[in-house]
Amino acid sequence: LIYPLAEFVIRGVLLGMTYGVLALPIALLFVTTDAVDMAVGGYAVLAAAVVVTIAGPLGIAAAIVAAVVTSALTATIALKINRPGLGDSMTGVLATYGLATCLESFVLTTKGPDPMTRQSFGALWDLGGIRVDPQVGINITVGLSALAVLAVLLFRTPYGRSMRVSALNPMGAALAGIPVWWVWFSTYIIGGGLAGIAGVLIVHTTGTIYSVGLPLTLSSFAAAVLFGLQGPARAFMGGIVMGLIESLSSGLLPGAWGSSVPLLFIFVVLASGRASKQAIVGARA
Amino acid sequence: MTPVLRRRLEPTVFLVVAIVVLSVVIRDDQYWLDASVMLAIFSMFALSAGMSYGQAGIPSIATGAFGAVGAYSSAILTMRLGMSPALTLVVAALVPAVIAYPLAKSVTRLSPLPLSLATFAFSGAFEIGIRGGGQLTGGFVGISGIPPLAVAPTPQAMHVLAWAIVAVTVFVCTNLIRSPYGRAINTARHDPLRATADGVNVSQLLAGFFSFSASIASVGGWLYAHYVSYLSPESLNTATAISALLMAVVGGAQTILGPIIGATVLTLVNNFLPATQAQGMVYGAALVIVLILAPQGLTGLGRLPWLQRRGARRTLRPISQP
Repeated sequence: LIYPLAEFVIRGVLLGMTYGVLALPIALLFVTTDAVDMAVGGYAVLAAAVVVTIAGPLGIAAAIVAAVVTSALTATIALKINRPGLGDSMTGVLATYGLATCLESFVLTTKGPDPMTRQSFGALWDLGGIRVDPQVGINITVGLSALAVLAVLLFRTPYGRSMRVSALNPMGAALAGIPVWWVWFSTYIIGGGLAGIAGVLIVHTTGTIYSVGLPLTLSSFAAAVLFGLQGPARAFMGGIVMGLIESLSSGLLPGAWGSSVPLLFIFVVLASGRASKQAIVGARA
Repeated sequence: MTPVLRRRLEPTVFLVVAIVVLSVVIRDDQYWLDASVMLAIFSMFALSAGMSYGQAGIPSIATGAFGAVGAYSSAILTMRLGMSPALTLVVAALVPAVIAYPLAKSVTRLSPLPLSLATFAFSGAFEIGIRGGGQLTGGFVGISGIPPLAVAPTPQAMHVLAWAIVAVTVFVCTNLIRSPYGRAINTARHDPLRATADGVNVSQLLAGFFSFSASIASVGGWLYAHYVSYLSPESLNTATAISALLMAVVGGAQTILGPIIGATVLTLVNNFLPATQAQGMVYGAALVIVLILAPQGLTGLGRLPWLQRRGARRTLRPISQP
């Protein structure tokens, strides 16, 4: 029982790393703009499709550039509808859903419905009888590096301070001379870049198909709010936990339970009010 | 006629006139009669989404799940127990309300985005439950041979029945929204603290209204089951719910007829698109363009700044691109 359990845990950590990398921009964007970019998962799938098409480091670079360019387009459209200070952000979120639909259809048209995967390593590591893909090391390194860079950017730079002020009070930040529109725009771009990295990791780890964009966004959002929205480290840890739950439930639970437990867990997490941005007494959490 | 009575009747009268004109135009055209019935069914889903999001501020992605509850409960009761569809309509309207109430109690205190994602997760889990329902739901295969409605044996009769149900729903919704209950809902949506101070139990009120919107979706599901005569886990799912929410937003979620207008526009867009892998690109692009041009929905076009008098423009401008 120990070995299969350990394999499920390792698989869950691998999956969780990608959720963690995607949860970082989702938490950042939600706290900053009170919106979610529904196309974040779509950028990851697009990046995966580019990596499968173009081999080597050039493919990886092209994948991240493609995700960033697409996120810039999304940001332009979403911020045209959901401008800072305007109020209801749902219409802008639905517009990003429209773009996610476009991306899914684009990947389906260009790459077809077959799984997209790329293997980096032929041989597996043997750690005390447990076979581990060396990709685990790369995923952990990349995930933790992304977390560190984002934490420094957010808490140790003037740009991070501008971002936090823009999140707290966009109107006040604008009056203080902070270019709130550009700060919000750049938050989308950071999301695109991180989603591109996540896409590269996914295609080298488990592979992906054209239709997983929206489920990826949903799982990553739940990961982002699991431990509260106070910082990138919590979002990243939430990603690891989400990955573990998905891996263990699909491996250990029978049939439909394996698929429904992660969704029920997401429901419980969200219904618990952990996505509260402002704990104002009397306000809706 | 008093202004109050006129305001309460206007949407229903407008819809009935439009249906009469539509019926005269399409007459015996089987393709358009079929499209019209499906449009009426999706109008029910869009009305459900419009009520919950536009009026109560609950952007639910569970509309498809509630539609499925109505559809499956009616299919199971008519086929397994031999009940009349007229009786199953009552069950179909009540069961989702009972499910929706505790769901709403647990999520309506959330802000819109986490709330919509929570209902999305609920809907996804429900869909998996239908797949794993075995003999009861037919699992992956689904249920086929659901009997048609005896009162609507022809496409023309089904067209009239479906739109009559939509018109009755519009009448009920309009009167509900224009009543003190509806005003309390609107207050709870915009300022829950103020509503609480006014003596409104916000959580209970929103949960009750969400149950009502779930019943609308479920009646749509009941129509769907007896018209299409086949149900599978993919028939009414999260994609249906997202489409319904988009229809409501595109048409104008805060108006009564907006969701029906949105349903008409998006159904026509879908019908005229080629059934290829590239369909999503055109659909997504069309959606984005509509949301950019009319963020308040198509019925809100008249409220756009450049269509208003200068004096009527808002004084507080949003922060825009430098």
